[in-house]
Amino acid sequence: MFDLEATLLSFKLALWTNAILLPFGVLFAHQIIQLNKSKPWIEGLIALPLVLPPTVLGYFFLVGFSGKTIFGIPLVFSFAGILIASLIVNLPFAIQPIQRAFEAIHPDILEAGQVSGLSSWQMFRLIQLPLAWRGIISAAVITFAHTLGEFGVVLMVGGAIPGETKTVSISIYDKVQGFDTAGAGLLSLLLLLISLCAIAFSYGVFGKMPGQSSRRQH
Amino acid sequence: MLKIKISQQIPMPIQVALECMDGQIHALVGPSGSGKTTVLRMIAGLSNPEIGKIECAENVWFNADEYRKNFLSVPVAKRSCGFLFQQYALFPHLNALENVLIALQNSGVDFERKRLIALQWLERMGIANLADRRPHQLSGGQQQRVALARALACQPEVLLLDEPFSAIDMPTRQSLYKTLADIRQDLSIPILLVTHDLREAELLADNITVIDQGIALQTATPSTLFQKPRNTRVAQLVGISNTFQGIFNAGKLSWEGTNYIFDVIDKGKIPAGMDVAWVVPQSGLSVHRQANPATLPVIIKQVSTLGQIASVELAIQDSGLSINWDASSAELKRLGLKAGEHAYLEIDPQQIHIMPLRPINDPRRLQNI
Repeated sequence: MFDLEATLLSFKLALWTNAILLPFGVLFAHQIIQLNKSKPWIEGLIALPLVLPPTVLGYFFLVGFSGKTIFGIPLVFSFAGILIASLIVNLPFAIQPIQRAFEAIHPDILEAGQVSGLSSWQMFRLIQLPLAWRGIISAAVITFAHTLGEFGVVLMVGGAIPGETKTVSISIYDKVQGFDTAGAGLLSLLLLLISLCAIAFSYGVFGKMPGQSSRRQH
Repeated sequence: MLKIKISQQIPMPIQVALECMDGQIHALVGPSGSGKTTVLRMIAGLSNPEIGKIECAENVWFNADEYRKNFLSVPVAKRSCGFLFQQYALFPHLNALENVLIALQNSGVDFERKRLIALQWLERMGIANLADRRPHQLSGGQQQRVALARALACQPEVLLLDEPFSAIDMPTRQSLYKTLADIRQDLSIPILLVTHDLREAELLADNITVIDQGIALQTATPSTLFQKPRNTRVAQLVGISNTFQGIFNAGKLSWEGTNYIFDVIDKGKIPAGMDVAWVVPQSGLSVHRQANPATLPVIIKQVSTLGQIASVELAIQDSGLSINWDASSAELKRLGLKAGEHAYLEIDPQQIHIMPLRPINDPRRLQNI
């Protein structure tokens, strides 16, 4: 009744997505905050997965990935395929919290770093990264939860191959189709709890940012 | 020595030239939005002027002419400036010692040596016992001391202070003034202080540049500035209350609105028959009960006593004008003067300072910039 295979696959997908997306998200968010005129366009591009229907994204991936392979692995109806799709769909969830955290650092602090003689790499490593860690953790948690819950894109690109592309959310859909409401309910409850915890955690983390809130007291 | 000569039109006009010798404190004073902080940021390299030259200790940090030939702008991190921010701008995730260590990051000595230097600076600022405290565990004055240690740890060639005391309460401010005075003795580097507080500038600075709307109006020692402002705007900005108008003609100043004429010093700078503004410092005023040839009759209009000092408003008879006289309470008591009574005011013509009502079109002034 409890689809352990699908649950483990979802966790595997979420972990891989985070492992690849987080370092990339940190570097990308750091680049975005330095942009000027092109900033709204780049931000818009990253936010696209938030507004486009998952089926539309899934369609583009299906057409784009069709017949392509990476290291000999086909990109359609494979774990590699849903991982790449998941990476793209999760861009806004990974980048936006980190970007907000970078932007919340008071400009005086960055200028203090500059006049203290820090190079831009030292500034990133010693000042910006430590001050943005709450944003990075928050991005990781939200990306994780969102990957577990992704349905449309995964279904379009991956189909529902057990152990390969059949994730929890697809398993829920299959169970409802097969009138296994109890099994669907159990998995749904699992996703609900994980999502609630993730959001509560990220709100809690964002509620107190030491670098910013403490400055305002003076 | 720090030498700057900068100007720009956009985004706000800036026209400032000044020099500050080693060991001197030079204050930039002006109302908010006058561009004094902008000038400081340009010296640090946090922004660039359109044209000009910034030199410090024989090194050129910025150079640009109208055609942007030989353009040079040394990056902020390479300028060796100590910069103190109004809101301290300490790194919130690091403790006091680590904050100072950041400034020593690229000093090229080993960690133990860096730690020693940072600790020495904290000690010099009198806060070595707070080395492991985070900024939010420190008071405003303590934070600014950490910031000062951080600014000085890398042995800067100039110290730039951007309203560093304005967020700090009065008693703490006094002790920071003392620390600044000590540092200036020891370090012998130029110190530039941006402030809107004239008393602070008068107390600390060797020279003051008054800035208004981005333009440096006058650079002088505090005493010169208060006694001989270059024009009415400077007089207004430095808070001189007794500013009057008149007509100047070969050593004779006729006070507009009255029949009085003063024999004043003619420096030959002001053309005959010109409308002028004039000021007289408090030291040039005295009040008597009896008339003498040098006095003019006044009526005591209002006496406001503030502790030991009383501000007395004297109405000049038959003119509608009045003049403020700051007297000690004791002097007021000796004279026995009360509001509504008659008295005689003596103005020392030697202390009258005359300035053009409108700026004289002096081509040299523009060339200087």
